[in-house]
Amino acid sequence: MTSSPKLDPAAWQPEIAIVPYRLDNGLSLFVLPDPRLPIVSLQVHYKVGSRHELPGITGISHLFEHLMFRGTETLGPEEFSRILQAKGGEINAFTTRDHTSYFENLPAEHLELGLSLEADRLKNLKLDDENFQPERQVVISERKLRSVDSPFGLVTEQLFAAAYTQHPYQWPVIGWDQDLRRLTLKDCLTYYRAYYHPGNMAVVVAGDVIPEAARDLVDRYFGDIPSPGPPPAIQVQEPLQRGERRAVVKKVSQVEALFAGYHIVGMDHPDIYPLNLLGLILSGGKSSRFYQEFVRVGKTVELDVELAPLPFSSEDPDLLVIAAVAVPGQPLVKLEEELWAALNRLQTEGVTPAELARAQKIQRAQMARNLMHNFYRGLLVGLFHLKTSDAARVNKLLTFFEAVTTEDIQRVAQTYLREDNRTTVILKPVSPGESQALGELA
Amino acid sequence: MANYLPEIHQATLPNGMNLLGVEYDRVPWVSIIFMVKRGSEADPVGKAGVADWTAEYLTLGTARRQQLQLAQDIESRGATLAARGGWDATLISLEGLAEDFPELLATLAEIVQVPAFAEEEFPLLKKRRRAELVHMLDDPREMANLRFLRLFFGDAPYGWPVPGDLKSLEALSLDDLKEFYQRQFAPQTCSLMVVGMVPFPRVVEEAGRLWGSFKDTGPPSPPYTSAPQGLCPPGIYLLDRPELTQSEIRLGHLGLPRSHPDFFPLKLVNYILGEGGFSSRLMGRIRSDLGCTYGIRSHFHFRRAPGPFIISTFTPAVHTALVVKEITQVVKELWEKGVTAQELAEAQSYYVGHFPLGLETPRGLGRQLILMDLYDLGRDYLKNYCEQIQGVTLQAAAQAAQAHLKPEDLVTLIMGPASQCAEALEELGPVKIVDEI
Repeated sequence: MTSSPKLDPAAWQPEIAIVPYRLDNGLSLFVLPDPRLPIVSLQVHYKVGSRHELPGITGISHLFEHLMFRGTETLGPEEFSRILQAKGGEINAFTTRDHTSYFENLPAEHLELGLSLEADRLKNLKLDDENFQPERQVVISERKLRSVDSPFGLVTEQLFAAAYTQHPYQWPVIGWDQDLRRLTLKDCLTYYRAYYHPGNMAVVVAGDVIPEAARDLVDRYFGDIPSPGPPPAIQVQEPLQRGERRAVVKKVSQVEALFAGYHIVGMDHPDIYPLNLLGLILSGGKSSRFYQEFVRVGKTVELDVELAPLPFSSEDPDLLVIAAVAVPGQPLVKLEEELWAALNRLQTEGVTPAELARAQKIQRAQMARNLMHNFYRGLLVGLFHLKTSDAARVNKLLTFFEAVTTEDIQRVAQTYLREDNRTTVILKPVSPGESQALGELA
Repeated sequence: MANYLPEIHQATLPNGMNLLGVEYDRVPWVSIIFMVKRGSEADPVGKAGVADWTAEYLTLGTARRQQLQLAQDIESRGATLAARGGWDATLISLEGLAEDFPELLATLAEIVQVPAFAEEEFPLLKKRRRAELVHMLDDPREMANLRFLRLFFGDAPYGWPVPGDLKSLEALSLDDLKEFYQRQFAPQTCSLMVVGMVPFPRVVEEAGRLWGSFKDTGPPSPPYTSAPQGLCPPGIYLLDRPELTQSEIRLGHLGLPRSHPDFFPLKLVNYILGEGGFSSRLMGRIRSDLGCTYGIRSHFHFRRAPGPFIISTFTPAVHTALVVKEITQVVKELWEKGVTAQELAEAQSYYVGHFPLGLETPRGLGRQLILMDLYDLGRDYLKNYCEQIQGVTLQAAAQAAQAHLKPEDLVTLIMGPASQCAEALEELGPVKIVDEI
């Protein structure tokens, strides 16, 4: 029985090797070579998400993501997925507020096929009514699944709608129901031309690949696609909130719940690191404050800080959301009082060095987890590039987390978790009859 | 192809417990999994939830450390402790950075071997579980899954909800959990699996030292392998949920045990039917052609005893009958005519091409070890996997479809607003309205 000489944790360098390129047409390419397994993650990120939409066409970014699978001049609907799946690929895409990302995790020998198909749908997408109409129906069904019939979907939508008065983060990525119904094929074509071109995208290839060979392949398939240059930047700043906003959503539910959102920062701001650690101190794991004080003793069903971890933080200032689900039969009012009291204690007394050290070690473990996958390595690099223009920052994240002090944690708690900076939405349960009397859900 | 296959190490600990390991060198991680090869199917009658609650109880303190201390010690290392019951097995796992391997292995040994079973934790656990079960009633997808299993299997073991339900919750006591632990947590039914940046000889040495005093107390219950009797008759069942805008739809019949020789042909047939995403016939028909759903999937739950075969989807309520009719038609066509040579070739190349992706992480590797050990697949299973997939002929696939898809036996459960779908469903056949299951 022999052991690999590589089995020494102390020798590990948590660094991603990044080889960046830029094609003449403006396309950014990042190659992350790693030969351990004969697989690659191919990712195509377009810098367009719901923040680029306007009232009336909300949801178009996500609907368009669906349309990218509906065929080209030479491929039928969903043939893109079928061809690559038949090679063993995992094919999918996701749309966020800031970007739309397509990925194929593939056997490395099929990278060229993946690139050729991605380039094909960028150049030759077939946009017609035959593709558009059924896909719109699919998205309407998806909206019902994620927002309308899900326990807290509508509550979350109301929270963002109330917290943002001017910034496009006020509408959901999936869009409002009435916008989905009135969007036209023409809207989609306009959107396609504005945002889907080499000047507004980044390609990432992570895995068993030689960087120069990957660059040549990307150049072969994408190099001749013209770019009108980056689209104009969306520059909207949400005005500072001046006082708590409250709203109520009535819905058939077994539980009362409270969702509180605090305006924080975007991904490029240094406070994103202490805020992530603060989230872990409050609700990361079973030794966290919220678990010990509320969940373990049965005061709440759930009490979580919802803050997207890096690299999924939003580009512009996000909300840090605290989601509290009351135990059936116990008053939400009392839970709310106790929750604010817990936050006040945090602001006045701060956190202990042990709490901070625990959160920092959790981040280190999370980084190790991310680096196991070509897919996550690729997302880290691609999304940091897209949202901060600094892909290399991924290799400094642990240093940033480790530099955070207990004073930083207390400072961000005081700066952001203020009542005046808070929007609170309450889920109030009603019977099916009362719900119907309130009108149709959409 | 064989060059990237992990070497699977095996040893038997002095107490007779099986130890499996894979050395993993990409990042300094270690996943340690303790598996008891008895799970929720071994819950006593009327006491659904025992296996799952027992698993959680072990995490609530040991003879040496109370819950908070234990959680702090684990989480201050950035590690994650998970414990859950499941069908055929109960799993307690601890994973974290490889630099902490000795402490993590010792902690898991302590959790499993000297649980405190502290009485004061029981009312708290019960309170939490009750709240969680009530909250789960608001999740239409989860409820449709649970209701279908209950409807289909009735009182047979695979019909009980893993976490229990509001009725069984009242019947559970701390003694039930202690009894389950004493009976089922025995070296002969347990295995330890370690995947990580740790040389296997070191794993053997540490595990031998830490698990030496873990002895039989059982005897464990015999493994559940039989086909259940008295299943729900085929037909359409409607559970009215007027507040929903979409119907949750489940169709199913009895499937096969994991040990069945048709496993590989049926796996390929099911990929073509509904497991293969956009390559599947169900997705093609119900989503791509009709635009009636965001997602649809069919799955054979291969277990020690025959598990269910289930097709799951949802659709805006007005489309319910159309979707049920189309799904049934797709199943019938595949049953009658089998699959095409191209479909089979694509399904085979999917599984062969995808195979290395499943070996990328310790968790993925751990999952393979669990299945290999739980279902006695043999240590060469990974080595032979691609050959087994490629060896399935068109005729074998057609025979598997013919023998194991049973369109006439389908039990269909709709959970949705009856006012918008009942009338159209009646046109497909008699609809039985069910109030509660």
